[in-house]
Amino acid sequence: MSQIQIDILQRALNREKAARKQSEKILEDKSLQLFNATQELKEANEKLELLLEEKTSQLQGVFENINDAYLIMDLEGNALKMNDAAIELFGYDLKTERFNVVNLIYKPDANYAFKSFKELRKKGFFTDYTARIITKSKAVKWVQINASLIYDKSKQAIAAQGIIRDITETRRTSELIKEQKIELEKSNDELQEYAHIVSHDLKSPLRSINALVSWIKEDNSGKLDAASLQNFELIETTLEKMEQLISGILLYSSIGSESVKKEKTNLNMLLEDVKQILFIPEHISIKILNELPVVYGDKVKLQQLFQNLISNAIKFNDKEKGLIEIDVQEEKSFYQFSIKDNGIGIDKKYHDKIFKIFHSLNKTKESTGIGLSIVKKIVDLFKGEIWIESEPNIGTTFYFTLKK
Amino acid sequence: MKGIVFTEFLDLVEDKFGLEMVDKIIAQSELESEGIYTSVGTYEFSEMLQLLKNLSANTNISIDDLLLVYAEHFFSVLKISYPDLIATYKDPIEMLASIENHIHVEVRKIYPDAELPTFNVLEKTENSLTMIYKSSRAMHHFGLGLMNKTFEHFSATATIVIEKIKEDGTEVKFIINKN
Repeated sequence: MSQIQIDILQRALNREKAARKQSEKILEDKSLQLFNATQELKEANEKLELLLEEKTSQLQGVFENINDAYLIMDLEGNALKMNDAAIELFGYDLKTERFNVVNLIYKPDANYAFKSFKELRKKGFFTDYTARIITKSKAVKWVQINASLIYDKSKQAIAAQGIIRDITETRRTSELIKEQKIELEKSNDELQEYAHIVSHDLKSPLRSINALVSWIKEDNSGKLDAASLQNFELIETTLEKMEQLISGILLYSSIGSESVKKEKTNLNMLLEDVKQILFIPEHISIKILNELPVVYGDKVKLQQLFQNLISNAIKFNDKEKGLIEIDVQEEKSFYQFSIKDNGIGIDKKYHDKIFKIFHSLNKTKESTGIGLSIVKKIVDLFKGEIWIESEPNIGTTFYFTLKK
Repeated sequence: MKGIVFTEFLDLVEDKFGLEMVDKIIAQSELESEGIYTSVGTYEFSEMLQLLKNLSANTNISIDDLLLVYAEHFFSVLKISYPDLIATYKDPIEMLASIENHIHVEVRKIYPDAELPTFNVLEKTENSLTMIYKSSRAMHHFGLGLMNKTFEHFSATATIVIEKIKEDGTEVKFIINKN
């Protein structure tokens, strides 16, 4: 072998050696890379597993803790999973028996049930299905169900889940309330009618007594002494007072019984009318501080409202110069009115009582104790509120609101 | 360029022309790798170009012809290394037509940084295929060699015409007609 050939072989051998080392290094680096990648994957996997566990336990918690019954079924209606609330409601326990939701259908509601089930298959959900079910112990329960389909990765429906709320008790209560409301309305109407008839019937014997008294007076003209005449006068005053009382009751019972006539009412004009009707003594002045609004409501009732409050303010004024101020403030959904006087005032302990019927603080001829209860009733009709601020001997302010 | 292209090339040179030729063309070329190649490494394409040039100069065989022979040798390497991939094909036209959409996709899975030529199918019938080869390497004759062996593998022959779209051979039309 020539030296040249030896040299060629030597160089080839060196290249092969170097190549082997190079490849070993490349492979080693690759192995390290692979190892590191595997390590990273492992860690990521562990994190994912942890996350999955957490989510699973959260779901399990929701499943166990919701107060409503929760059921998962296959698309044929076979129950697959239920929570304790469902076991309690239906009476079936999957640990010991199998059951299909068809078993729960209450016959008269079957059509509705099948229709809703079809809707679930078609749309993927239904909401607020409300019907009766029959439990294992043959009890009939009202339930409200919200259900949706469960899909697999390829968007294929594989099962359905539903939350079933037992509304038997709620339904019973609301039905009871409905019945009671009807009954209450009926008895209210009857009461109103009764009050109306009674006060009417009471008026005619009063008129008879009045006539009889005046006949006796006429027949015995000149024969009666001063004491008797005074007693007769007292009888007449009492009769008049009783007449007023009965009229008041009639008026009170009529509020709310009539259908409410709603019309645009200009309160400025209405107040002018009230001033005309009421007798306003010389020493009393009425001031309207603000332009009053046009409100929408029954004109007669609005007049009664202002008339009663203003006549009270006149009646119970003991000052040399009586002053009555009427004001209004506009709020977002209502008007707030105030009627202020500088009269005798009302003691704080009576502030709550004055709006109750027959609660007159002053047993005078004109005071029946019905006026303020009528006022309260009218304000109630307008869904408003009424309250007072008052100090004895200084004056009273009545505040009330009327809904727009 | 993947190391296996170099190692297989030098093995073939040694086979056909002897170890002296290998030693000679390595010495004549300016190689960053110093002619040390391993199939798992990656090397500059310019090294392959120099080796081919020097081999061509020393043997008086054109580079295209050298590439053709080399490609025919290289097909057998692929057959040994990736028998499953080749086994998925029943027909040479099908196999060649799917270079871009299947074979190169698989190659990228193993060698994400591989720089591959593109083979866009212009026309395909049961027995004919027209494709545009594009590569800055201008190794269309390497492609031709692989194609020849593909037909041979399926016990068929074909007439393959090469039309250069660009003079430097970086864009070439292959018109393949199965016989």
